Amino acid sequence: MFTNYFFSSARIGIIAKHTFTQLSRMKVFYFLVAFALLIVGASFFEMPGGRIASDSAEQDLRMVKSTAMGAMSLFSVIFAIAATALLLPKDVEDRTLYTILCKPVPRIDYLLGKLLGVLALIFLSIALMDILLTGILYFRTESIISSELANAAAAGFSSEQVAYYESIIRQQGPTWDLQFGVLAIFLKAAVIASIALLVSSFSTSTLFTIAISVLVYFIGHFTADARDYWLYMMGDDFSMMSKWMSQLAVLIFPDFQLYNIIDHSIEGKNIPANVIGRLSLLTVFYCGIYSILAWFCFRKKEF
Amino acid sequence: MAKEYAVEIRNLIKEFPSPFRRKKHRAVDQVSLTIEPGEVYGLIGPNGSGKSTTMKALLGLLAPTEGECFIYGRNSLKVDSRQNIGFLPENPYFYKHLSGEETLDFYGKLCGMRGKMLRNRVAELLELVSLTDAKDRQLGGYSKGMLQRIGLAQAMIQHPKLLVLDEPTAGVDPIGSRQIRDLILQLKQQGITVFLCSHLLEQVQDVCDKVGIIFQGKMIRDGRLDELISMKGQKELIMSGVSDELLERIEKMIADDPQAKLLQAGSPRTTLERLFLSEVEKATD
Repeated sequence: MFTNYFFSSARIGIIAKHTFTQLSRMKVFYFLVAFALLIVGASFFEMPGGRIASDSAEQDLRMVKSTAMGAMSLFSVIFAIAATALLLPKDVEDRTLYTILCKPVPRIDYLLGKLLGVLALIFLSIALMDILLTGILYFRTESIISSELANAAAAGFSSEQVAYYESIIRQQGPTWDLQFGVLAIFLKAAVIASIALLVSSFSTSTLFTIAISVLVYFIGHFTADARDYWLYMMGDDFSMMSKWMSQLAVLIFPDFQLYNIIDHSIEGKNIPANVIGRLSLLTVFYCGIYSILAWFCFRKKEF
Repeated sequence: MAKEYAVEIRNLIKEFPSPFRRKKHRAVDQVSLTIEPGEVYGLIGPNGSGKSTTMKALLGLLAPTEGECFIYGRNSLKVDSRQNIGFLPENPYFYKHLSGEETLDFYGKLCGMRGKMLRNRVAELLELVSLTDAKDRQLGGYSKGMLQRIGLAQAMIQHPKLLVLDEPTAGVDPIGSRQIRDLILQLKQQGITVFLCSHLLEQVQDVCDKVGIIFQGKMIRDGRLDELISMKGQKELIMSGVSDELLERIEKMIADDPQAKLLQAGSPRTTLERLFLSEVEKATD
């Protein structure tokens, strides 16, 4: 039996696995069917005007990516907030929390298990959507390239021009930059799930948890502006109140603008590996801080 | 060396803030009790008397405002004290998507049990609570009595030395209720300490060695059941095969004694529950 009464990865794994099963039986994977229909529909969509405009081929691919990644972002954020906000109150309501906490289970293990279970389900869902997106994007890219190259050859372009054009189209296809963008969607969802966990650790209402988490999500998109205000605004016209407010916003709220590389990947821009590496580390930091704060609120919570 | 109790509650006070009032509501007021290893203790009292609050404080789900709770000498707020506890809450729901076997497996793993040891324990407990045939059914399809029994099994999964049962037969039909009561008696024979709260006084009387009566947060009486319920100065004879002549002679003898007085004579009655159970038993044979 476990002898560690503070933190056990095995115990966290058991709770995470169970949470994953619990959530997956809530029929969340139906969303994947809707996603598949959406992305297949988007892949048949062509920009108005056929292939006359010079960048319309890339636009078609961008449209597929934009639709798919928009749906992935939406699903991951909604799911991260709703699932995390629901889990704790449901366990309290059903009194299953009593039976778990009356076993030798430290509260930090319970919280981390729940969070990891939610994240595992989001990761799997995003991975499945990513496989679908990558597959459709691959076939769509190849089909566009073959038709565009045939048009280019007929128009008498040189081989260098054709190769250049092909590389531009391929940049909009299934690239590693696209995978980095998908990873950023997951990382952003992980941060918002840990925020929802923190709020639900002291909240007594699911609705309150959802409302506050959504609010934090929106505020997080303006944290960078608050940071700039704090760091660069000087002079007499800069009131102390404004400074404190911006400092507070920067300290409390995550900076979701850093996750804008999702847009870069949709646009087919290059995303350096070290950027996604640093973003992953930042996400671990955010999740760690919010989980520790959640534990502080939850460890003495009475039921 | 100080005596080690299975449960020791010392001067427990629990107050809850009252909305819009400065004064806090005192749910439990200076409650103290001790349970020795192997005893069955029943805490009885009306709704809102502080039974569940006392129980939750013992389980570490509530922090005492004042006082302390110990389980086998360990403070109940410490996680390690819970290795010795099994808890069955009132009307437990558990996870409906799990089967009976999966439920026990989940709780066993939480306690660090693995492999063959866990599999054997799960099978043993399913047998004990008579749910072997229903082990693969999801809990969503279990009756209330079955849920209580699987709840009791999960409470016992890690071989706890103390079982805490909150209204273990609430909402269960007489047959299910009898099964649970028999289980408690079986556990008592195995030397497991049981602390239970119940409204059903007859059942408490059937299984408990000691009882405590809690009212408005205060322990108004506690002690050994035999001592508490025996009526001082009165004796009872239950006889069979007694003729009318013999009965007359006994009554005369009592009448001749200046101090003795016959209070009641007649045939003892069974309870409605016993009648129901025996009739159902006959019908199933």
